[in-house]
Amino acid sequence: METVKRRLLKQAVDDNIATIRGLPPRNVRPAHRFLQLWIRRTPLLLIFLMLAGSTYLASDPTPARDTIAPAKIFLTRAPRHIASAPTSLDATPLDTSALPLSVHRVVIDAGHGGNDPGATSMRHLTEKEVTLDVAARLKALLTKNGFDVIVTRADDRLIPLRDRARLANESDSDIFVSIHVNSIVNHTASHGIETYYLGPTSDPSLTKLAADENRMSGYSVADMHKLVENIYADARREESHRLAGAIQQELFGNLRSVDHGLENWGVKRAPFIVLVATEMPAILAEVGCMSNDAEAEMLNRSEYRQHIADALFKGIRAYASAADAPKKGI
Amino acid sequence: MAEILHVGIDLGTSRSAISASNGERFVVDSYVGWPADMVAKKVLKRHVLIGHEAVNNRTMLDLHRPLERGLLKEGSDKDIEAVRELLKHLLGLVGVSGNGNVDASNVRAVVGVPAAALRTNKQYLRNAMKGIVDSLLIVSEPFAVAYGLDALLHTMIIDIGAGTTDFCVMKGRYPTEDDQRTLTVAGDSIDTQLLKLIEERYPQANVTIFMVREWKEKTSFVGRAPEKIVVTAPVKGVPTDLDITNEMKAACETLVGPVVETMLDLLAKVEPEFQERVRNNIILSGGGGLIRGLPRALEDALKTVGGGRVKYMHDPVFVGSDGGLALAIDAPDGDWEKLSS
Repeated sequence: METVKRRLLKQAVDDNIATIRGLPPRNVRPAHRFLQLWIRRTPLLLIFLMLAGSTYLASDPTPARDTIAPAKIFLTRAPRHIASAPTSLDATPLDTSALPLSVHRVVIDAGHGGNDPGATSMRHLTEKEVTLDVAARLKALLTKNGFDVIVTRADDRLIPLRDRARLANESDSDIFVSIHVNSIVNHTASHGIETYYLGPTSDPSLTKLAADENRMSGYSVADMHKLVENIYADARREESHRLAGAIQQELFGNLRSVDHGLENWGVKRAPFIVLVATEMPAILAEVGCMSNDAEAEMLNRSEYRQHIADALFKGIRAYASAADAPKKGI
Repeated sequence: MAEILHVGIDLGTSRSAISASNGERFVVDSYVGWPADMVAKKVLKRHVLIGHEAVNNRTMLDLHRPLERGLLKEGSDKDIEAVRELLKHLLGLVGVSGNGNVDASNVRAVVGVPAAALRTNKQYLRNAMKGIVDSLLIVSEPFAVAYGLDALLHTMIIDIGAGTTDFCVMKGRYPTEDDQRTLTVAGDSIDTQLLKLIEERYPQANVTIFMVREWKEKTSFVGRAPEKIVVTAPVKGVPTDLDITNEMKAACETLVGPVVETMLDLLAKVEPEFQERVRNNIILSGGGGLIRGLPRALEDALKTVGGGRVKYMHDPVFVGSDGGLALAIDAPDGDWEKLSS
């Protein structure tokens, strides 16, 4: 037992020292010696990607015809639903694959559910009910406007956070929108809207890592993969930030007009588990405050929940149609 | 050189405890409050209130629970400030202060935090606690518990706290992400549920979450009711006895499903030859471990996979901080030097 104790203690200390030095957790830390080599090869990789991209563009069977967005949006993305493109011109739903949008498939995550009611208002309204209803309304809106929608739960049941993230990751979706309702027990007077994205964890700057290391040798595919993942995490964070900004703006702007006391609590960073584990731009919106009686009253009304869904939809559309919206999996 | 003080701190969502090598042990509620306005400041005559005092004066305070939901929210300076005040307060209780017996520069502290907080924002936590003590080692709470109990091999710790329920399988190594799980179904979610159920049954009664929390801490149970649970609350201003036996049972049982599911899932991931040993070494810690009937309910669930044993701590309050203290004392001087901030 003493040896086990000593070993564990040493591992705990090492883990803390790694944190002090600003290294990421061991399981995502790339092998140092591969870094310099990799950095040197970055230009090569970029050239390869550009070549691959342009080849793809040239062979794309459905080139962009009259788009207003820069052509780069089509570089590496295969348009989905070509087969399901509308055959008649009547009121069939709009197919976004024909539009210059970088977002096709959206995961909507209704917070809580089942045994986990989430926040509860004084009038017995539960967070899980509100999030499920808003999610259903948002899904209807998105579907009507040509987006593919995946929901993490369609009924009142508890889905573990890990499974929600897994579902999102396996469905090859473009963005992840998690809907929650705040409850601030000690400040029942105030109510506001806030949107979260994944905040900086212990990611080091890659340049610092590189400076720490000067040895070189070969590298494995797995190491390469980890490195790309690390860089991707940064790009994803930027995108999540943008998505959060777009959604927060629409949520607050639209809801403020019907709910005058509403406060703008802004875009914030927090390491919610669903945001950590998802692999696409992901945000978590706190669309209201159960703890405020007046607001709980509004949340109880279907028109207000429709307002929320409308605002979320506008936020997603604003993000999706931004001309410079890059694609996932850069 | 002055005497060195080792301390173990369990920084919990609901309660925080400290154990020090000078024999002192204290526990406080993890609430930090600042007077909300000038009037409150005048009445309270204090710059900051901590623990029970903060809860009792909550109407006059800007009240914070820094690790709500098991995480330290980033971008919230108040929450960082609250963690710092809480740490300083705990250290002050065991005699560490600017003019006290022990200078903070001679303190070596091991701080146990909810596993989810450590997993997601280690660096941030460390920065938040910087400069308060000379040397600091941050570990996950279930790990500190396991270390304190010498339960480092083939053991599962289920730590049911207020904001989160943390699972950790000890495999003789420092727990990795795969060895740990976190659920947000925990003490707080039981409170909300219980409050809701009581309000449904007694719409006239005037009940707050703080009252509900106190009742739960005294009378929680799952399975068969050990006794009738009757509490007193004002109904239209008149103190009235309310029977909440069924509500208590229903609220506490919301925990059973998710905990069983996660426990079995983690067990299935243990190497097959060790599964039986882990099944027979499940330890319930944290306040939730005191829910009557819960160990039996978990053992019943284990029968489907061959049976097992679930132990619980009779006095879970200091298990984590004592474990932290054991870590602090065992860590060699050389390591502590590397951990100075």
